[in-house]
Amino acid sequence: MKTLEVISLTKWYGSVRAVEDVTFAVERGEIFGYLGPNGSGKTTTLRCVMGLLRATSGQVRVLGQRVKAGRGTEHARIGYLPGDFHLWGWPRGRRSLKVLAALGGSDGARKRREELAERLDLDLNRRVGTLSKGNRQKVGVLYAFQHQPEVLILDEPTGGLDPLMRQIVLEMIREAAQAGATVLLSSHDLSEVAAVCGRAGILREGRLVECAPISRIVQQGERRLKVWFTEGTLTPEVPTDQLPGVRVIQQEPGTLHVAYHGTADGLLKWLARFPIDRIATPRTSLQEAFIQYYAIASDGPAAAGGRHNGGGTCS
Amino acid sequence: MSKPGRPPFPFVLLWFWLRRTLLVWAGVALAVFVMQIAVCGIIHDNQSVKAFLSFLNMFPSVVKIALGGEMVQVGNTPGLIAIGYQHPFVLFCFMLFAVGVPTGLLAGEVQRGTMELILSRPVTKTQVYVCAGLLTLAGMFTLVMIMFLGTVTALNIYDFGEPISLRLFFRIAINGGLLASTVGAIALLAAALFRGRNLAVGVTAAFLVANYFIWIISQLWPRMIFLRHASLFNYVIGPKVWARWPLDDMGVLAAVLLVALVTGGIIWHRRDLPL
Repeated sequence: MKTLEVISLTKWYGSVRAVEDVTFAVERGEIFGYLGPNGSGKTTTLRCVMGLLRATSGQVRVLGQRVKAGRGTEHARIGYLPGDFHLWGWPRGRRSLKVLAALGGSDGARKRREELAERLDLDLNRRVGTLSKGNRQKVGVLYAFQHQPEVLILDEPTGGLDPLMRQIVLEMIREAAQAGATVLLSSHDLSEVAAVCGRAGILREGRLVECAPISRIVQQGERRLKVWFTEGTLTPEVPTDQLPGVRVIQQEPGTLHVAYHGTADGLLKWLARFPIDRIATPRTSLQEAFIQYYAIASDGPAAAGGRHNGGGTCS
Repeated sequence: MSKPGRPPFPFVLLWFWLRRTLLVWAGVALAVFVMQIAVCGIIHDNQSVKAFLSFLNMFPSVVKIALGGEMVQVGNTPGLIAIGYQHPFVLFCFMLFAVGVPTGLLAGEVQRGTMELILSRPVTKTQVYVCAGLLTLAGMFTLVMIMFLGTVTALNIYDFGEPISLRLFFRIAINGGLLASTVGAIALLAAALFRGRNLAVGVTAAFLVANYFIWIISQLWPRMIFLRHASLFNYVIGPKVWARWPLDDMGVLAAVLLVALVTGGIIWHRRDLPL
């Protein structure tokens, strides 16, 4: 069941395009990563999903209801963490969170709030204005989770947190998804996305240029091969003109580290001419795939178009 | 598939904002209350006031207008008491609330980044606007009632040796409240229209200054008297209120208030907030 659907969403700020024709859907219990560099339109998409911004065209459906800007559609069932979380400085953390929870008339928020505060090692008796950046972010996480929402819209949820707290927050996200919550997670931290998300969409200049399971995104990047030649063998020069899609990462006496796109057939046949001691295939990380993806995508639309699924559509 | 209903009215937000504005409200209320007692006390106790007023009568009309126009006459005790209703300090206090509260609640929350949190809860933008509007209008009217209460209290403390009609001061208070509420509505409109709080405050303050300037010019310069209709002050400070309820003037103020409120509401609802 699709809990969250973004259908042909386009948003222009005057003459500036923020997102264009973005389509994706997230199912119940799924954690969907939303990736992209700064200014690619991630936050705009999330705000349109929340009805905080009016879409220029297209529509968003959350929990079966069409989102209308400024109407608070299904917000009692949504937990939202903005990328730049700000709270009133003078009340204590507990008071601010209580007010925001009460706006939705949520039951049980108090108990959950206290539990989560303990888990995140957060003192809710302190005034928010006196909290450090990391602790303020914890308050933000509490704000999003305190009413046990069915949908979580999280924009950089672990920003400013130490590695330990980061793990706890990721664990909370996983637990929420296991309990049936739908999570849309926007992040710059690719290891974080790789750790919790099943699928991810990649946004570039407002367009969704990739949307696939994390494993496939990683596979779609360059693959690598590291070769150790037998002792005394000179490392041969790679004929890159004869092996399209192959590039040399590192070449040292006795070892060769190459990256390739597509099939390894030609590369392996060429390597078979030399006495080889051993071969390793290092795994490409999501981060590497992401960087490689942008390096290729920046070559032009044709290069990007050859790799993404369905031109901004993902379901 | 069920149709989404309108979220219930956010009384929690209303209460939260009420608590935030209470200190400013209490400060202004105390100031205007004490001011009325002080004015009555000065008039009652100071025998030289009459001599001072005789002296004042010799001044050009610009000075008399600034102090209350025709009300500043020897022997006109209600007129002297009414100075407490239009003294620059009292006007400043009222305008502080009328401008500061709506801009602080709408533009201030947007600027602080907390509006994004409020609107991410089951609350509509219109409900948020209504909360700010209610607090502004209710705050203004309770303030003028406090001001009137100050006069009632003062008249119970001081005996002026002549019957003083409280109805007159009630009329002036209600009229003044209507003017201040209209300014509040214009501040709401500015808060809905502009990005930052300071800009909204600045525009409203400029609007007020322009209105006051037009009113003063129209009073002092006979050729420019036609301009008085363009000033909000024309509809509250005038001889009409001394004789009866100035329903036509109140109607003008109410119309401006309504137009500003509705226009602000539409703009607030339709525009993307600079979150």
